[in-house]
Amino acid sequence: MSTLFDITLIVLLIACSIAVVRLKDLLAATVVFSTYSLTMCLLWLHRGAPDVAMTEAAVGAGVTTVLFLIAIGRTTGHEK
Amino acid sequence: MLEALWQNLDYAASVVLFCIGLYTVITKSNLIKKFMGLNIMETSVFAFIVALGVVDGGDAPIMGAGAEPPFINPLPQALILTGIVVAVSTTALALSLIIRIWKQTGTIEADELRELE
Amino acid sequence: MIRRALIVVLLIAAAAPLMLAMSQLPPHGSSETPPYTHISPYYLEHGAEEAGAENIVTDVILNYRGFDTQHEVTVIFTSMAAVLAVLLLDPPGRQRAVQVQQPVPVSTVVRFIVRVLAPFIALFAIYVILNGHVTPGGGFQGGTIIGALVIALSLVMSKEDADALLPRKAEHLLQAAAPIAFFVVGLAGLFAWGEYLYFPRDEELRWLSTLMLIIIEIGIGVGGACVLIRIFRAMRAD
Repeated sequence: MSTLFDITLIVLLIACSIAVVRLKDLLAATVVFSTYSLTMCLLWLHRGAPDVAMTEAAVGAGVTTVLFLIAIGRTTGHEK
Repeated sequence: MLEALWQNLDYAASVVLFCIGLYTVITKSNLIKKFMGLNIMETSVFAFIVALGVVDGGDAPIMGAGAEPPFINPLPQALILTGIVVAVSTTALALSLIIRIWKQTGTIEADELRELE
Repeated sequence: MIRRALIVVLLIAAAAPLMLAMSQLPPHGSSETPPYTHISPYYLEHGAEEAGAENIVTDVILNYRGFDTQHEVTVIFTSMAAVLAVLLLDPPGRQRAVQVQQPVPVSTVVRFIVRVLAPFIALFAIYVILNGHVTPGGGFQGGTIIGALVIALSLVMSKEDADALLPRKAEHLLQAAAPIAFFVVGLAGLFAWGEYLYFPRDEELRWLSTLMLIIIEIGIGVGGACVLIRIFRAMRAD
């Protein structure tokens, strides 16, 4: 049932983005952001765009998350 | 209109994600949180453009063995590959600027930075 | 509180015309849209023969739209230069004392798993780079995987071992590998056929097109990995 899978992925995307907005602890927000990137990659893979999905997986989970973690480690880890 | 919107669910989801990202950029005062909102806006636009090229029952556009028409439109994917690279470049630069601001002033909240001038 | 409610109302008012526009676009998944009927059939039919790659997306970004990719690799190189300029040049004056944290000892499980998986990840990354014109993948994807692998190894090894993975001299030589690969292939085309970044279109010279694609992809892969490793090292060094 590909439609059910699509709706699940889209609901998960919106839930992850709302969680990123609402979380005060920046470390938790970074982990949820990495999940958002992975769900976007799955959505693109399901739609038939493997090049874009591989780039987003490598960049989103590999590079962006690590850079965010370094920035949070060197500044404050909490939002006021 | 709701029927057509239900069929174009992907496009409607991109608009919703874009608005969530824009809300984050406008409302939150922490610079890192603002930047996460900007990243959400960027990925929502990528999702919209890739979804424009999808064809029902189409395969990925790779002409190997066992690939049959119809194929998915390959042009939006080429645009978005460049877009993702530019997004990661701006992420790296913005985060290093935030580290520099922390070193110089000791705060990364936009409200406190505005009062420092 | 009232400010937030006002912003939410404003965003809903801005999203409503967008939703109206989304409902009037051609249905999702239809094959009658103007880009699909007028522009794409040429690339899908002639891409595999003319351009020397079976992955049409790699075709488009390296052959038909090669100039865009050259500027994209220049953008990521410029961002690395900007990151180094922001973080490594210290003006004299008041600087906040950088907080020195106790280094947390790395757990044995993490170290074991990373060191066991590292050769397989490296092999996969080289496969992705070299086969980018036949399977999904390409230069930048493989380069990012190598960069992420070196970042993961830097987290579990000591500083001297991690620095030996990519020594200083290699860093300085390889960081501009992507624009230089494009430039070399383009100038070769200029001298041989009279046009910058010319891919031959004859049947007999298709192997030359594929060879040029592979050279550019290796350049993008190595250059992208080096740029990401340098950004990581600059942001992390105290």
